[in-house]
Amino acid sequence: MAYVALSEAEKTFILHGVEEDFRCDGRSRRDYRPMELETALVSNASGSARLRLANTDILVGIKTEIDVPDPLTPEFGKLEFFVDCSANATPEFEGRGGSDLAQELVLALENAYESPLAFDYRTLCLIPGQQCWKLYIDILILECGGNLHDAVSLAAKAALHNTKLPRVTASLLDAGVTDLIISDNPYDCTRLTIDTVPLLVTVCKIGDYCLVDPSAEEEVCSPVSIVVSVSMRNGEAFLSGSHMTGGGAMHRDTMRNCLDLGLSIGEQLNTLLAKMLKQEEERVGPKRPKTVGFLK
Amino acid sequence: MLRVTQTKNTLLDGATIAEDLYTTPKDCEECFDSLELPGKNPTKLCPRSTFVRAGVLTTVRGSAYMEYGNTKVLAIVAPPHELMRASARRMNMGVINCFVNFAAFATGELESVPEREKHLGSMLTKALEPVVCRTEFLNFQLDIRVLILDDDGCLLSTAINCCGVALVECGISTYDLITASSACIYRDNVFLNPSAKEEELLRKHRGGHALAGSDNSSPTAALQEHGLITTASMDTFEQVAQCQQGGYLSPATYVKLLDYTLTINKSLRQIIRRVLTARVKEQHELDVREKAESALEDQRLAEIIERLKQQGLDDFIQTNIKEDPFVKR
Repeated sequence: MAYVALSEAEKTFILHGVEEDFRCDGRSRRDYRPMELETALVSNASGSARLRLANTDILVGIKTEIDVPDPLTPEFGKLEFFVDCSANATPEFEGRGGSDLAQELVLALENAYESPLAFDYRTLCLIPGQQCWKLYIDILILECGGNLHDAVSLAAKAALHNTKLPRVTASLLDAGVTDLIISDNPYDCTRLTIDTVPLLVTVCKIGDYCLVDPSAEEEVCSPVSIVVSVSMRNGEAFLSGSHMTGGGAMHRDTMRNCLDLGLSIGEQLNTLLAKMLKQEEERVGPKRPKTVGFLK
Repeated sequence: MLRVTQTKNTLLDGATIAEDLYTTPKDCEECFDSLELPGKNPTKLCPRSTFVRAGVLTTVRGSAYMEYGNTKVLAIVAPPHELMRASARRMNMGVINCFVNFAAFATGELESVPEREKHLGSMLTKALEPVVCRTEFLNFQLDIRVLILDDDGCLLSTAINCCGVALVECGISTYDLITASSACIYRDNVFLNPSAKEEELLRKHRGGHALAGSDNSSPTAALQEHGLITTASMDTFEQVAQCQQGGYLSPATYVKLLDYTLTINKSLRQIIRRVLTARVKEQHELDVREKAESALEDQRLAEIIERLKQQGLDDFIQTNIKEDPFVKR
């Protein structure tokens, strides 16, 4: 993690703020910082999204490729995550400095997306056992302001929503060999359903309290946090992966509280994200908002 | 009379070499049927038969070997040394690096090995960070190496247990003993300490059958939960050091599995405690014996010096010259 040096006094200040449910930036323990989300920014990618969560800036691009499915799961497509910690984010990432963090994020995402109930890999299937889509989800960390797990998963989900797979119009069977004809029309495409796609929620323990969306300073104060991946299915929240991080331990009951908090926050985030994505989708033509990002 | 013992050669007997190049969903079904199903609520919450031994290698300070059923793991802890990468420097904490390696013969499928090594290494580091007093060696790094000799499931939990013993053996100060175990759920069956076969069902087929019910039929068809959970705990103050979960679980199932693993951890703790106490006793006995031997040596020397003083130097040398039997004067 990007490292921020804090003195004991600053740490105590943050701790007291958390205890009184009034954090440094005026949030309560269950609040997120303001978010900015834009989709379809990168013209060369099939889907893209940029998320800015206060100081954390994430850009996700999704590229598609046709691949052969794994023989064990003939009707599943493939996902591949790649996280790049750019040296702009913090000087620590220069050289191979960010590789540990990048690997941690990739592992967390892979773990969360592993179950076919979390991400329906069958929608990426073209011809079972022969051809499937492979999505390369490339995540670029432009700025590091705490709570990377949440930001990355939100951006990845938005980018998946934005992904347009060209429609495969016909396939000719030629002596058992398949030929795919891919539509040239950029508007003739299929979309992915993202209802069950998981979001990661980091629940941070500071003092005796649990909170969500820690800033970089709060992350330093926290001895332990638990990353919960929440997937919504039929209106119920499910866990599709979780692990503890930060180098501390917690009691079983505390862990349950953290889990409950994470699940309820994850549920809210999911509905909110779905709503925002729908809104952005609907604003087409002259009503389409100007992109405020730096890319364009 | 000589008797020739018959050696069984399956190849000559007409069997094929490999059973199958890869398993198909149908094989997965067969594999599942061949398993002994423990049912929804397991009654016996106990670890597998366990063998732990500390200090198996003489070349390193801290080493431990553990057999957990058929899973065999060797852990090595070297004393902390100075940080090599300045960027990894933390203000007030030492750094732990864990490296997990599979022996070439440890597992059948070699393809996923590098990926699993990476994953296990990262998870092992996370699990061990809470237990080691990292404030004691700031600006130092502690390298922990784990060699997996045989993989029959529960790799992560066995590695954690083994490293816990190796840490104590190396004399690294720890807050508590750490123990870990895992449980998984697949098609409503709870497998405690899942074997490689059971884990493979979950991982390789990725609970593919979880979807079978929800295929095209009614959307209300019961959802097939599946998932694996590995918990590491320090039981003096009932702290959970790491809880790693994958798959798809409802919160209630998650807590249920968590409690199962915590119970198993408690009984494992007894075993590890016994092993470590035995090890300390053994070490103590060795120390005592060594001390006695050196005392004996001291006494012998003292006697010689005493004789030297009594006899005077020349006399003493004369009496102590032994004639070489092969050289005639």
